[in-house]
Amino acid sequence: MRKEVIIKFIGYVLLFNSAFLLLSAAISFAYSETSSIPLLFSGLICIIFGVFPFIFVERHDEISFSEGLVIVVGGWVITCLMGMLPYLMWGGEFSLINAWFESVSGFTTTGSSILNNIEGLPKGLLFWRSATHWIGGVGVIMFVLLILPHSTSSRLTLLNAEMSELSKFNFRYKARKIIHVLIIVYVGLTLAQTIALALAGMSVFDAINHSFATIATGGFSTKNLSVAGFNSPSIDIIIMVFMVLSGIHFGLLYNTLTLKSENIFKSPVVRAFIVVLAIGIVLVSGKLYLSGTYSLWESLRYGAFQVISLGTTTGFATADSAFWPPFAHIILIYFTIQCAMVGSTSGGLKFDRVYLFFKSLKKQLTLLQHPRAIVVLRINNRPISDQLETMTLVFFILYFVTLFATTAILTILDVDLYTAFSASIATIGNVGPGFGEVSSLSNYATIPSLGKFVLTINMLLGRLEIFNIIALLMIRRGNY
Amino acid sequence: MKNSLKLKILAGFMLLVALLTVAGAVSVVEFLKLSRSVNALIEDNYKTIEATRTMLESLERTDSGVLLYLLGEKEEGRKIIASARATFDQALETATNNITEANEDSYISIISEKYEQFSNKLNNTLSNNYHGRGMEWYHREIYQSFLDVKHAVDKLMSLNQSSMHEEATILKEKSHRAIMPGIVAIVGALVFSLLLSFFISKYYITPLSSLSESIRTFTPRERQLRSNIKSEDEIKKIEVEVNNLITRLVKFYDEQKK
Repeated sequence: MRKEVIIKFIGYVLLFNSAFLLLSAAISFAYSETSSIPLLFSGLICIIFGVFPFIFVERHDEISFSEGLVIVVGGWVITCLMGMLPYLMWGGEFSLINAWFESVSGFTTTGSSILNNIEGLPKGLLFWRSATHWIGGVGVIMFVLLILPHSTSSRLTLLNAEMSELSKFNFRYKARKIIHVLIIVYVGLTLAQTIALALAGMSVFDAINHSFATIATGGFSTKNLSVAGFNSPSIDIIIMVFMVLSGIHFGLLYNTLTLKSENIFKSPVVRAFIVVLAIGIVLVSGKLYLSGTYSLWESLRYGAFQVISLGTTTGFATADSAFWPPFAHIILIYFTIQCAMVGSTSGGLKFDRVYLFFKSLKKQLTLLQHPRAIVVLRINNRPISDQLETMTLVFFILYFVTLFATTAILTILDVDLYTAFSASIATIGNVGPGFGEVSSLSNYATIPSLGKFVLTINMLLGRLEIFNIIALLMIRRGNY
Repeated sequence: MKNSLKLKILAGFMLLVALLTVAGAVSVVEFLKLSRSVNALIEDNYKTIEATRTMLESLERTDSGVLLYLLGEKEEGRKIIASARATFDQALETATNNITEANEDSYISIISEKYEQFSNKLNNTLSNNYHGRGMEWYHREIYQSFLDVKHAVDKLMSLNQSSMHEEATILKEKSHRAIMPGIVAIVGALVFSLLLSFFISKYYITPLSSLSESIRTFTPRERQLRSNIKSEDEIKKIEVEVNNLITRLVKFYDEQKK
């Protein structure tokens, strides 16, 4: 493995991050804020470390898969490390572990926060916080691939390392086209939501920040009370619509916009995803109304928002779900586990895997009845290989083993079981808010430092879909 | 020139220098801000707090003077009152000339107003010879007025103390921001040095070792060094020159043999 090539590619990632750091610094300077120097200094450090490898390392057109894997995982980790610098240098509530937590939570689009007073942050730092979502949403490597002056083969290698096999399923394009499709949909949705939110009465600054957080399915808000701080039904509806869109495969969204035949209306997975969300909304809203928690309109408004927010791994809140009935919690926990579709900006288990799991279950039941039958699993009329089916089941097992392990570690640290379990699900699924002490309008400040660190590992595992980390460990052992 | 090792190493060090310079500059700027804040803290709040303390002390002394006067120690009482009033006036002037907080001027106006009322009562007492009126009269006429002034001064003191506390919190954050660039730069410089040594080893030491090894294992039959150097820098030039030398030597010996 050529270390110098890996360092050079990570340099590109740092240069991309530096652009957003400098933009945040400019906002801070415009408002004469205390965060201007920390943001500027962090941006300059990113530039220095980003430019440095270019002095020594010549252009390399080919990179191996293992190099690509290290670039992707290393890129994410280094990005998170550099991203914590402005927080750490600014101070306030940001200790070393808190800055790391906020940075990882931002880039992995988890949206869990350790901040008690978000509104006390300078605007520049708030923008950087939202920008980490936006950079991480589509994947920092994806942006780099767009501007990378390298050959198609290196681009393809990095794309394969960054995207899961399932994510590429609905893309019938070449590597460069996939990257373009992703970025066009991503930027387009962000612009559309910003305009819609501004028209609904949000300030332009808040609109940009909330669009960054919605389209990236992140969940960082500029308000202490999250979206509840605006108390506007029209803003709630706009955010709900864009949360659903951001939870759908971007390739299918692109196909729909370009009037291709394989679009969201013909995809059985999208149909199933929407139906499951609708059932969730009916169940939660119904329970909220019947238990007398809210009026009918409020039950529908808050219930729908929370189901969509958790079901798409965004994590915004319009009400404190901590006080909702246990049945509503059970449904919301299901959506925290299920997550949204592959090929979107959401993290975690992904709905497609759940869909595939049930299809596989049906296949196994058929084989029990008809042992000699040849049953082929299909999604969107395309056959699913046995290998992909097996990998999905393995992913399920790894996901729940990680979940169990993290919950156990948190309980060792004296975190109560409900908080530990929901915090673990919320972080590995890159959702954000959990229940108990880390509920929708609360934060992760009370979790012990070691617990916070464990949860950040969870976030990275959820974002990198576990397999990349395992593959990386196998490279280190020389088995890959 | 573009691929020159000298230029590459120089550029690497220049970046390191840039990192440290930026960190140094940021720290200097933040420390200057810190120093200004410390000055402001002393000038803005501490001065007024000291003035209010002096005012309170003067008021207590004035009150003692009045009591002495009423008890028959007229001369001693007058002397203490005159001295305390002068000190109070001086302290009030200091506070008036050091208005730094919002609404601080209204606090001072209230003190002036209450003090004037107190002074008038005091003047009446001293000029009309109230000797022998008793403590009840003192409580009703003088003491209440004294408490009003004291209360007004206390309020000004509280305003400046809470502001000083806020300023101290800001100072703590500023000192954090002044120190952090240095710490980040130290860690950054360490990582940078490791990277630089890696690149120097990769692009300078390793090719030189490879060249040295190929020279050591060179046999006349090979006629060319095989050091596998892929760069276009000075080390590649050495390899090319050594190969040229070998070619010339081989040619020379071939001619000698003939």
